[in-house]
Formats: sequence, C-alpha cells, structure tokens
Amino acid sequence: MMNFWTKLQALDRRWIYLVVWLVVMVPLIFPFKIRPVATPPVQSLFNYIDTMPENKALIISIDYAPASQAELQPMLIALLRHAFAVHRKVGVLSIEVQGLGIGEDALRQVAAEFNSHARTNADSVLNGRDYVYWGWTTPYITVMLGMGQRIARVFPVDYYGQKTESLPIMKHLKNYDDAGILVSVAASAYPLSWINLAQTQFGIHLGCGCTAVSAADYYPYVNSGQFSGMLSGMKGAAEYEELLERRMAQTGMDWGLRRKGTEAMSSQAAAHLAIIAFIIIGNIAFFITRRRKS
Amino acid sequence: MRRRIPLILVLVTGIFGAVAFFIPHHSIQAADESMRNDVQRIIAAFSLVLGVGSILAHHFTKIQRRTANWQYSWVTVVTLFVSAVIGLFGGIDPARPGILPTHIGSFSFHMQTLYMNMMVPLAATMFSLLAFFMASAAYRAFRARNFSATLLLAAAFVLMLGAVPLGRMIFHPLPSFAEWILAVPNTAAKRGINFGIQLGILATSLKILLGIERGWLGGG
Amino acid sequence: MNISTDPWVWIAAILTLAIFSFLYRENPFYRIAEHLYVGLGNGYAITFYWHRILVPSLIDPVGHNPSIVMKVWLIAIAIIGALYFTRFIPRISWLVRIPIAIALGYYSGATIPRAVDAEIIKQLRATIITRGQLAHWDAALWAIIILVGVIVTISYFFFSAERKGALKPLSYAGIIFIMVGFGASFGYTVMARISLFIGRLQFLLGDWLGIIK
Repeated sequence: MMNFWTKLQALDRRWIYLVVWLVVMVPLIFPFKIRPVATPPVQSLFNYIDTMPENKALIISIDYAPASQAELQPMLIALLRHAFAVHRKVGVLSIEVQGLGIGEDALRQVAAEFNSHARTNADSVLNGRDYVYWGWTTPYITVMLGMGQRIARVFPVDYYGQKTESLPIMKHLKNYDDAGILVSVAASAYPLSWINLAQTQFGIHLGCGCTAVSAADYYPYVNSGQFSGMLSGMKGAAEYEELLERRMAQTGMDWGLRRKGTEAMSSQAAAHLAIIAFIIIGNIAFFITRRRKS
Repeated sequence: MRRRIPLILVLVTGIFGAVAFFIPHHSIQAADESMRNDVQRIIAAFSLVLGVGSILAHHFTKIQRRTANWQYSWVTVVTLFVSAVIGLFGGIDPARPGILPTHIGSFSFHMQTLYMNMMVPLAATMFSLLAFFMASAAYRAFRARNFSATLLLAAAFVLMLGAVPLGRMIFHPLPSFAEWILAVPNTAAKRGINFGIQLGILATSLKILLGIERGWLGGG
Repeated sequence: MNISTDPWVWIAAILTLAIFSFLYRENPFYRIAEHLYVGLGNGYAITFYWHRILVPSLIDPVGHNPSIVMKVWLIAIAIIGALYFTRFIPRISWLVRIPIAIALGYYSGATIPRAVDAEIIKQLRATIITRGQLAHWDAALWAIIILVGVIVTISYFFFSAERKGALKPLSYAGIIFIMVGFGASFGYTVMARISLFIGRLQFLLGDWLGIIK
C-alpha cells in the first residue's frame, strides 16, 4: 500500500498531461448546456456600454498578443457585436504590435456578421463610417496621452493606410471627449497605464477585459470605480456573451452567433474539477508517505 | 561625459515630462505634444534595432561557433528575413498590395495570412503548454503543509468552483461567495500590496531621474 | 467530421501539433516551430515599425513637409534614434545611452505625478469609509473589512520593527488576507491557463477536423 502512494507521488507527468488533454477535449465534443450568470463587474460594463449616449463612441484598445487570444478574442468580438447592435460608433486601436492582425480579423468577422443580416445601407457596418481601425503606434505613452488631445495626430493613417482625418467617423471622434468609454482588452498591465495616463489627465471612463491571471489584481480598481466594469478571462467573455444574446434578442437579432466563450465553459468546469482532484490526491499521497516515514 | 550627458538628459526630460502635467499653457502643451509624437515615437521606432539586432547577433554567433542546435538558428534567421521582405514589400492589407506579389493563384502568402495561420497558432500553442505544466505543478508541489497554505488552497478551490457555472449546481451560493472573496478580502490584500509596489516604483523613478539609480547606464 | 481542405488550416494545425509534441518529449519539430515563431514575430514587427511609424512619422514628413525647420528637426531626432545602432560598435557603444535617457527620463517624469494620483490618492480615497457606505449594513461591513485588510496587509510588510506587541497580531491577520488574495489569484490563474488550451482545442477540433461546430 505504501508502495502505491509512493509510486503515485512519482507518477510520470505525461500521464497528468494526458488526463488534462482528455478532460478538456471530451466536454468540447460532448458539451453540457450551460447558461453563465453575469457577475457584478461584467454587468456593470455591459450596462455602461448599453446606456451610453448615442453621440458617444466606444473605443477598444487591443492590448494583447496572439498568446492570449483564446481568452481575450471572445471578449473583443462580444464588445464589437454589442457596440454595433446598439448603433454606437467604434474606434479600435492596438498598443501591442502583435495584436494588430487579430484585431483586424475580429473587425472583419463581426462586420461580416452584421452586413450579412443588413437590409439597408443604414443597417450595415462600414469601415470609416461606423468604425475605424486606427492600428498601432508606439510608444504607448504617446497613444494614451495624445488621444486625449487629437486622435488624428496620434494616428495620421489608419491600419489600412487611409488618412485618418479623411474618414467620416473622425468628424465625431476627435479625442476622448467624444468617447463614452474606453475598454482595454489586455493580457498585461496596460489597463493600469490607461488609468494612470489617460484617466488621470482626461477623466475618460475605462473598462477592462483582462486575462484571469490579472483579474484578481484589478479588483481594487473596480472597487474604487476607476474601472467602470471588468471582464475576467474566458468566463467573463461567456457572461458577456449571455447578456449580449439576450439584449440582441430583444431587438430581433436572434442570429445564433457563435459564442466561443460559452462553448468553453463545459471544458473549463471539467478541468477545474480535475485540477482540484490532482491537488487532493497529491496531498493525500504526500501526507500518507510522510506519516509512514516518521 | 559618457555618463554625465545621459544623466543630464534623463533629468531634463524627466522634469519636462512632470512639468507638462501641471502647466496647461498652450506652449508647454504644444512642446509636450511634439515630444510625444515626434521625439518619442521616432526614437521608439529605432529601438527595434536593439531587439532585432540582438537576436540576429545571438543566432549568427551560434551558427559561426557551431554550438548545440546551431542548425535551428538558420530557421530563425531565414524566417525573419523572408517575413520582413514579404511585409515590407508586399504591404500590410491584402486589399492594398505592395510591389511584391503575395499570392500564387489562390494561395496567398501575404503577411496577414502568415500571421493568422502561423504566428497566431504558434504563439497561442506555446502559451497553452502552461496548462499542462500548471496541472503537473499542482499535483507535485502544491502541499497544504501549514495553515497559510491550507487557507490559500481553500480560497483557490472556492474560486475554481465558483468561477464556472458548475459551482452553482454544486452549491447555489458558491459563485456569490467566490465573487465576495474577490471583491472584499482579495481587494484588501491586493490594494495593500499595491501601495507598497507603487511607492517603490515612485522611489525608483525619482532615483533614476536624480541620477542616484544608474543601473540603466550599463558598464563603461 | 468535416476535415478542412484549406492548406493554411493544415499548416496551422501541423504547427500546433509540433508545439504540443513537446509535452511528450523535446524533438526537432518542436524546435523548428519554436524558431519559426521567433523569426516571424520579428519580421512582423519590422513590417509595422516601417509602414506605420517610420514612413508616416519620419520619411513622408521629411519628404513632403515644406517647412525646412520641421525637416531639420525630424532628421535630428532620427539621428538620435539611429544612435541605437552604436550598441553594436564597442568603441562608441556608450552613445546608446542618449536615446535611452530621453525615453526613460520622459516616461519616468510623466508617470510620477499621474501614478501618485491614480495609484495612491484614488486608491486611498476608495479605502476610506464614507457616509454613503454606512447606509447599508453589508456595504458598511465589507468596507470595514477592506479598510482593516489594507492596514493589516501593509503591516505584514513592515520589517523595520520587531514583530511583538500590537504588530504581531496585525501581521498575522495580514497573512490571512494575503493568503486569501493569493489563493484567489491561483484559482484564476488555473482558469486562465486552461482557457488557453481550450482555445487551441477549439481550433483543432473545430476549424481543422470539423468535429465541433
């Protein structure tokens, strides 16, 4: 028996990897139905964007690289869908150079979703009229402080090489005063830089979509009101998707759009149970072998 | 002079950066805008030289000295140059191509295609390996040896179960309790830790500006 | 099952599996994929640094701006930026400190007053209990716990005095809050890491093999 616990402690890590692989894969293939319930920070951000004045735009800052796109891309897509569904103008930028391509991909995907259901030109989502992708520039201090004065000075050309000032949307989006909220979708500490630089000087409202790793660290800023809301990891994305689907259904937009965040929740739950089991088994084995030795 | 000039520069630009926050006069704000949009931006663009140059120097040295796994360095060097040429001459947006054609028939090798189908999978998969390493570490190393560790584990279990909809099925108030842990004791702890960190950052920044902290100068 | 016929999806899947092969053991496929990633990342950065920074901020203005003062100013900045190249010339490598000093100094100076306001003053204000919070019993209780928690957490990190008298129970209470905070961070870190893997499986099972929709 003692041998069993000792062997268990010395288990080849590849068996653990295999268990993790199966525990995540099987629920993806055979998911169980889950309806996420929004936590207060997610609900706050959703309500803020939903009730923004019509003349105010949503600015989204893509502050992540492809490494974190599994967690953050569903958030970005949900935010874009929400803004277009409530007919708000959207300005998108990227602080991370490696985040540019995934931002462009998200905009193209969501614009195509809305345009495939559009009946009139007014329903369509058009680059330059309904949204602008400013792209990227560096350093971030230039972006965060400069956008408070004149966005076109910070981004003289957009991602596609068009002169920013020539775009119709820029008549209504000159600086932070024209934005209702700026949401930083980030894998690192950029949301705090947005608070320190942009919010302190210009008073812009900020939201945060962050990886779950950072989420616990950002709660003090939600508590202080410096973030008007926060999405934490894939779970946060799933909650936002749930709120958005209900909101879009209210206006007849039952399009059955893919919800990658929600799809992941079955696997997430199974994996969490597996990790808890690993920790418990590891501790039992440890304490039994330690007691036998002493 | 080799150390004095940079130290004077860091002090002058630092004072300018701080003063621009307090003085709303248009001449100071215009100078600040120029500093950010012209000086900082162009200097930051050239800073890429350091990163790329260091990588190339490292890999060329490996190739030259035939150190372990030197053959793979050719992969990095060739990929870097090929992708840079495609990006520089092929354009950024597939709808607005550059002078270099980036497709053969319907097969595209445009920068955006390379990015979405090579860089994104590589980066995302590289980081997804952490899930396995974390599971292995949780099994092997996470021990409730004392009260503090047990408390940490207990909080982690509550969060892990409360974060997923399954938690509600196990125990209905669990998600609310998990949210309370984040909103109250976690907030208190992180705020307290953050005060210390921020005061440390402020002190270090001041020391850099005043030339007390000179580690950034390097040797020589 | 609806396997993709797009060659690029297959390339992405092969690269994904090459990285995952590291879980079994290190192998040449993993090494090649790893080095590909480094090369591509740098090539991508070079592309955008050229097209979106140097061209619109330096080359176009110098070429088209009628003001000679502006041209001279931008060229001077470019020369300062070019000093980064001296990093690779040992005799004059000290010159690299100049552009670093300009960037570091400005950033430090600009963030000091802003960070004091955002990270210290606003956070302190949020910690203080206000009359509005006392209106509801639960908001009042949580606000008191947060205030006490912040104080005891800070007292735990006060190493300048011996832990006796009042400091001892305060530090012990601080550990409790810190451990709960770290436990919360660990729990969420588990969630984050698993999410990254779920994302890759969604691609392999969905976009590549067509098993999930």
